[in-house]
Parts: sequence; C-alpha cells; structure tokens
Amino acid sequence: MSKGHLSNDDFFQKLSQLFESSTHGSIYLSQKRMVYGENVNTGTPESTPGQPFPDLSPSQPLPLIVRASNGKSKEKRDKKVKLSTIVEADALEGFFAKYADVCKTSMSGLKKRDRSKQKEKLKAKKRKQGGGAAAGTVEVKKS
Amino acid sequence: MPYLATAQEWLTQSTLLLQARPSTTRITTKYTHASTIAKKSKSKPRRNAPPTESTALLTLKTYDPASGATLKYETDKAAEVGRLMMILGRLGRGMAGLEVREEGAEGEVKEEVKEEGREDGKVLGGAGDGKAAQQGGKAAGGAAGGGGKGKKKKGKK
Repeated sequence: MSKGHLSNDDFFQKLSQLFESSTHGSIYLSQKRMVYGENVNTGTPESTPGQPFPDLSPSQPLPLIVRASNGKSKEKRDKKVKLSTIVEADALEGFFAKYADVCKTSMSGLKKRDRSKQKEKLKAKKRKQGGGAAAGTVEVKKS
Repeated sequence: MPYLATAQEWLTQSTLLLQARPSTTRITTKYTHASTIAKKSKSKPRRNAPPTESTALLTLKTYDPASGATLKYETDKAAEVGRLMMILGRLGRGMAGLEVREEGAEGEVKEEVKEEGREDGKVLGGAGDGKAAQQGGKAAGGAAGGGGKGKKKKGKK
C-alpha cells in the first residue's frame, strides 16, 4: 500500500492485465471512502454533542479508494498483486463507466445468456397460449 | 448476514448501511474463476445453477467492520455485470458523500425494480425514486404481458 496509488487510467490498465494473467482463484475488488491518508484532507470534523456523526454529512465530497488484488497470501505471497487508485468525487461517473467496461470484458467466465433455450421456451409458450410474450421478451430487451 | 435474493434487494440494503456508516463501510467484489469453483464442488443450494456445469462466480459484499453488518449477493450471469457495476457506481456516490442521483440509472435496473419495486419505497432516501422506478417497472411489465416471476417474488415479503 505504501507503494503509492496508481492513476485511474493506470489502474484500469493493470486491472485488465491482472484479469488476463489469472486463471484460477479469485480476484478481489473493493471500494471505500478515503478517510485515512497523509495527503488527503478528510474533511470530517470531530464529533460534537450537537453533531454526533459528522461523517454522515461531510462538508465536501470525499474521494474513494478502489483496490484490486488477486488474493494471493501466505506461501504465495510473492505472487500477490495489489493495485489501488483514488477516485475523486467529481471523477466518479467516468471512472465507473470505464470500470464497468473493464469488468464486463474481463469477467468472461460467467454464464452467458442461453438464447436457444429461451427461444424454445417462448415457442412452447406461444403454442400453449397463442401469442403470449412473457419472459423471453423481457430478457431480449435487456440486452 | 446471509445472501440476498436479488441485486435490487442488495442495493437497497447496502444503500441503507452506507447511509448509516459511510466512513467505515466497504464494498468488495469478488470474481472467482470457474476452475476454482469446480474444485470445491459442494452442492450450494443458494445457487440455482445445476451443479454439474461450473461457471465463474461474482460475489458482491457490503461490509461494515464497525457494526459487523454484512450483505452479500452472488451471481453467475454475465448479463448482470453491467448492472451490478452501475450499482457500485451509485453506491460509490453515497460513499463519497455526494447525493445519490437516481435518474439515468433506471433504464437498466427496470427489470429488477419490477420485482422489488415495493421494497424500494421503504428506503428513506430513495423513496421518491422508488415511485418513479415502479412506474417504469409497470410500463415494462405491461409490454411483456406481466411476467409471472415478478408476482411470485412480491408475495414473498
């Protein structure tokens, strides 16, 4: 962690590489409000009786820290990859749009939508009800 | 706390947890490769996928170490990734202390909202949105001739 944070763009690049290089095990991504840090002003004052939870309404938006890791530890510690980046509040939207793209392309092992089965189902339903457009239509629309 | 049944429910609960503890709550997304899941092929009742074919898994976890609250959601569907990432973005706004803006996000969540629309209304901050989302959900439901699946889920809670 003390190695410093990556810029958002570098983070995405490294994250793609991390996904490509790993073939088993898990990849962990996490996001959290950035509160601790030497060069970041947290903007959260001490709690007072008048305002017991100052972090509920910070005076200014706080950055997020987004981390990624391949979860290697103990005897595989030397293979551990840890990435982190700080996302400023005003950059959130763009960050997550890119983040989603990277994840969508990288998480390729998930189950694809099985269209052939749905078509069969739809046909069966049509035969039964005569023109019913149920689940199949919704699924297709979503894509 | 256990796994939640739908992404929408996970979003609702996570939003509440983040509202209560914005500084300590973290969200972890775990992507597990198919080969790893195949290795520990115990029968998992929470997964409705047949145990024979193994796919990768995506697990979302909202955890607040201060209170110990944990919320989890798990999926193996590639089609959900986009929507889940969008949810992460939305929750990220809450984390950053920004107001959680809802418009523009509804298009994709529509289908889930149709199933869980009523619960959405319970959220403190999201009350207004719940209403709008429900309308959207209704429109989608009408076009689809009303999925039976949605009705079943509504009755559950």
